[in-house]
Amino acid sequence: MTDSIATDELVIERVFDAPRELVYRAFTDPDQLAQWFGPVGFSVPRDSVDISVTVGGYQRFVMVNDDNPEWSSPVDATFTEVIENELLVGTEEFEGVPGLQGQTSMYMRLEFHDEAGGKTRLVIRQGPYTPEMEPMARAGWESSFTKLEPLLTALAG
Amino acid sequence: MPTDRLSVIFSALADPTRRAILARLTEGDATVTELAEPFEISLPAISRHLKVLEGAGLIVRSRSAQWRSSSLRAEPLREATAWMDRYRQFWDVSLDRLDAHLQRLQQQAVESDVDPTPTERISP
Repeated sequence: MTDSIATDELVIERVFDAPRELVYRAFTDPDQLAQWFGPVGFSVPRDSVDISVTVGGYQRFVMVNDDNPEWSSPVDATFTEVIENELLVGTEEFEGVPGLQGQTSMYMRLEFHDEAGGKTRLVIRQGPYTPEMEPMARAGWESSFTKLEPLLTALAG
Repeated sequence: MPTDRLSVIFSALADPTRRAILARLTEGDATVTELAEPFEISLPAISRHLKVLEGAGLIVRSRSAQWRSSSLRAEPLREATAWMDRYRQFWDVSLDRLDAHLQRLQQQAVESDVDPTPTERISP
C-alpha cells in the first residue's frame, strides 16, 4: 500500500501488552473473537462466528445490540492476504445499499508488529472512505483521514 | 451542494490542494502569492480554493486589498475532529475490550501455568 492511495483510509494503531500470536488469535479464533469484538452495548454471539483463515477464506459474524436484538450488523469479509501472526487483509462487498451504485468494496488490513518488551503493535487500516459511501457511513465526506489527521491533531489540541 | 455545516467543512477538506494550503497556514498567515508558490497552478485557481476554505469558515482573509493575507481558523477543524472521533470510537472501544481480553487470557495462563500460544494451526 503506497501513500498515494492512502488518502481515504482510517488508520488506527494500538500497542497491546501481549505477544503477537495472542493478538492474532483474538481475530482468527471464533471463541476469542466472540468474547471481545464490537463496541460496548453490542455482542457477537458465538454461534454467528465462522472463520476460515486462508486466502479466499472468510470471516463471518454478527454484532447484535444488547438492548434491541433487532439491531444487528452482519460482517462477511473475504481474506485476500494471510500471513500467520503477521498480516490479515480482508475485503467486504456491499450490495443493494440505498444510494450506492452497484457494488462497493471495502478493505480492512490488520498488521501485527513486534514491540519491545514482548508487546504487539496492531495497525488497522480500513477504507476506502469515499463520498459514495455516504449512505453507509451515514455521512460520506470523510474522504481524507490519513492526510487530515496530522493536521487536525496539530490544530485541535 | 452540501448544506449542513459539517458537510461544507469536509467537502472543503476533501481536496489535497486545500489541505496543503491549510497546512501551510498552520505556520502563519500568507498572501495568495505565497500560498501559490508550492503549486503548479494559477493564482486565480488558488483564489478559488481560498474562497471555498473561507466559505467553510476554515480561514479568514484580511481586508487590505493589496496584501490580502489568509489566516487559519481552528474552530471548524475542532468540529471536524469531534465528528471523526465519534467515528473512531467503534475501534477505540473494541480495542479496549480486546486489551482487557488479552490481559485476562494471560492472567489465566499464568495461574494455570499453561503456554497461551496456540500450537495447532487453524488452516487445513
